[in-house]
Amino acid sequence: MHTSISIPRRTVFKGIGAIAAAGVLGGNARVAFAAAPHLRAAITGYSVINTLDPGKATLIPEFYVIWSLYNGLLTFDDKMNIVPDLAESYKTLEDGSIEFKLRKGVKFHDGSEMTSDDVKFSIERILNESFASPNRAKVAAVDRVEAVDPLTVRIYTKRPFAPLLTFLTNSRTGTQIVPRKAVEAMGAEAFARKPIGTGPYKLESWSAGTGLKLAAHKDYFGGAPTIETVEVPLIAEESSGVTALLGNQIDLTSTVPAADVPQLSSNPNATILKQPGLNMRFLSLNLRKAPFDDPHFRRAVSMAFQREAMVNAVIFGEGATSHGIFPPLLGDYYSNIRPPQTLFNPEAAKAEMAKSRYKPGEQTVAVVTWGGSWWKRFAEIFVAQVNQTLGTKFTVEVTDANAAYARQQSGDFVCSVWGWLGLVDPDEYINDIFHSKGWRNFGGYSNPEADTLIEAAAREMDQAKRAELYHKAEKVVMEDLPFIPCFTSNIHNLLRKGVSGFVQKPYSNFGDQFINIKTT
Amino acid sequence: MSDVALQSGLHRERMARLRALFVYIAKRVLGSAGVLLVGTLVVFFTMKAAPGDPALSALGEQASPDAIAAFRAAHGLDAPVHVQYLAWLTQMLQGNFGQSLALASGVPVATLLLTKLPATVFIGLYALTIAIVISLVLGTIAALQRGRAADTVATSIAVFGISMPDFWLSYVLIFGLALNLGLFPTFGYVSPADDFLRALHFGFLPAFAIAAPMAAVFARTLRAVLIDVMNKPYVTTAKSFGLRGQFIFVHFVLRNALVPYLTVIGLQIRYILGGVVVVERIFGIPGIGSLMVDGAFARDFPVLQACTVTFLFIVLVVNMITDLICAALDPRRSS
Repeated sequence: MHTSISIPRRTVFKGIGAIAAAGVLGGNARVAFAAAPHLRAAITGYSVINTLDPGKATLIPEFYVIWSLYNGLLTFDDKMNIVPDLAESYKTLEDGSIEFKLRKGVKFHDGSEMTSDDVKFSIERILNESFASPNRAKVAAVDRVEAVDPLTVRIYTKRPFAPLLTFLTNSRTGTQIVPRKAVEAMGAEAFARKPIGTGPYKLESWSAGTGLKLAAHKDYFGGAPTIETVEVPLIAEESSGVTALLGNQIDLTSTVPAADVPQLSSNPNATILKQPGLNMRFLSLNLRKAPFDDPHFRRAVSMAFQREAMVNAVIFGEGATSHGIFPPLLGDYYSNIRPPQTLFNPEAAKAEMAKSRYKPGEQTVAVVTWGGSWWKRFAEIFVAQVNQTLGTKFTVEVTDANAAYARQQSGDFVCSVWGWLGLVDPDEYINDIFHSKGWRNFGGYSNPEADTLIEAAAREMDQAKRAELYHKAEKVVMEDLPFIPCFTSNIHNLLRKGVSGFVQKPYSNFGDQFINIKTT
Repeated sequence: MSDVALQSGLHRERMARLRALFVYIAKRVLGSAGVLLVGTLVVFFTMKAAPGDPALSALGEQASPDAIAAFRAAHGLDAPVHVQYLAWLTQMLQGNFGQSLALASGVPVATLLLTKLPATVFIGLYALTIAIVISLVLGTIAALQRGRAADTVATSIAVFGISMPDFWLSYVLIFGLALNLGLFPTFGYVSPADDFLRALHFGFLPAFAIAAPMAAVFARTLRAVLIDVMNKPYVTTAKSFGLRGQFIFVHFVLRNALVPYLTVIGLQIRYILGGVVVVERIFGIPGIGSLMVDGAFARDFPVLQACTVTFLFIVLVVNMITDLICAALDPRRSS
């Protein structure tokens, strides 16, 4: 039996109306934001900043902020030329040392004046093994630093070291200048959380995982910044960054998902900046393990997939195929080679496979990748194409970035998608990875001829000769093919309508631009 | 029987009932503590078994093997796993959650938790409120209009609610209500302590995204229970006494339907916490859900362990409270 109870309909609807009103709160009032007295520059795609001590920093978002808090002796101009920053000028002396004349009257955020002693301290601190700086390799060639007078400093190297000037810029190098007195008084750990630099902005507050607030450094040597405060929210999801910008909650993002680029390009409420980036995406191979210990197998696999299709499917056309070690933006060091073993050629791939010690289906190769982002798609496209062309049994193994890196570093991998971002000197692209003692040479590649050329290039101060040496070294390495180059990605920033002045540089810069930005 | 005998009989019975309730509470507390202990074991050992290394997150890919070894030694990560577990458990029982390894090196985990917990609690309670309100409306309409068009509409809304994943709903809400209509912000969080109305405004979309699937479950339960109660003989009796429908519904039907309805709400709390993890990330809410995801990616074991134990603790406490309320409403449960 079904009993019915009746309640006047009006009572029910009255209740629903009240609830609906409570839910919407304020009815159709549009979200109103006051004209921003400050800049809201979001770091997107990352949520962790662990340290703001340049000597300890390694993560990309850490450097994004460090660039606005500190200066290096040198910096890159808009055309990527190395120009003086805290140094007013520099020259190489007869004894081989480089002498830097410092700017006068540069103030740290705590009001103290920057002197040659701070420069000496900053570089020696990174060199000091007990400090355990992850950026030590950048200054390892430095023999000693001499503070000649308060505004003159000389850097002596053990041997000629061409990348040194690059490594003394305000980029991802860790050589930004810190104040000796403050660091010694606070201790490294406290300094990492309460940084003091000479940069146009100083840290006001920092909430782990959420974001940071910066305030203008009124005594900045380049003049007090127009924008007085900068809010830097950390937005873990890149797509949330895009919607926050379109919803007028932030002015600027550090990156943009490649898939959104075409749509955003035609959006009148936003400006998207894009250009080829200083990065490399490749397949890292373990040469100590079968089947990649066989050069024929490596070449066969490299010829078995189409890089153009990969660029389209993985990063939605936002990039270019790679056929060598250096990205095109490295100027003279880039050689525009297209070795046949890096071109899609199914017949040649099969012929090369026939010469290999291994049969295509004999080895199960798990290609390690991570997350749900384009890195995963990268591995999937590669595996599908190679299996289709060669009849191999490659599979995709998804883990997360930390685990993938741990495995890469310990050599517990056969093949893995991999890449570098923001490296500005050719030495970082070839020496670190392909010198038999390179600290990123996880695949165990070793060729004495390549080693000799790489070492000679690092010593060569003449850029043209240095480029020639790198071209030779690249040729040797590409013949062995200890890795499989795939593509370089474009870099992007998204600006809200009314925001201008951001000068994009290919190493994915960010915080060094806050001072140039104008908002309306 | 004399009055005195009757009084003492009643007193004895009341005491017996109270005793039963206390025994029931004691059993539940002990049981929950046991579950919590097992939970800590599972949390700790699965994390230790997972690949990855906090030293790599903290020191970065450029760290030398020496620096990594020093980091591991400094944080006791090279000790045998059972020793690490016991040390962690002992510390935690003293209220010390340790220090963050990789997310915010050196910051006490308790500080991180305390700064992040309010946002999660606020969004969770907000979601729960929305779910309860929606389900009361939908469930009541469906039950009262059983078999009619309104029932079909309400039931369909409920089915739709159950089938929508929270992350998908979040994006639909962002595009529809925030970007196109401009009714809500797409991103961010305002603390209710700073500005309550703005907090409700900023929190509405994330809370609604979590609430929708829950509201659907609550509404279906409420509908079923209401229909069941409405068929009970005492409702028919009340009707035959000529009581008004509204009175019978509020005083007899809704009240008796509360026990199963509350039980379902209690059980659904874990979905709020699951939803919070996803939604906090999409809307950029600085809560424990975001902290947990970051902790997991960075292999920041102390942070991750503290977050999962906190979530487990919340679920157990809420379930216990729900059971106690139900036991108080329905004494048969504790006897």
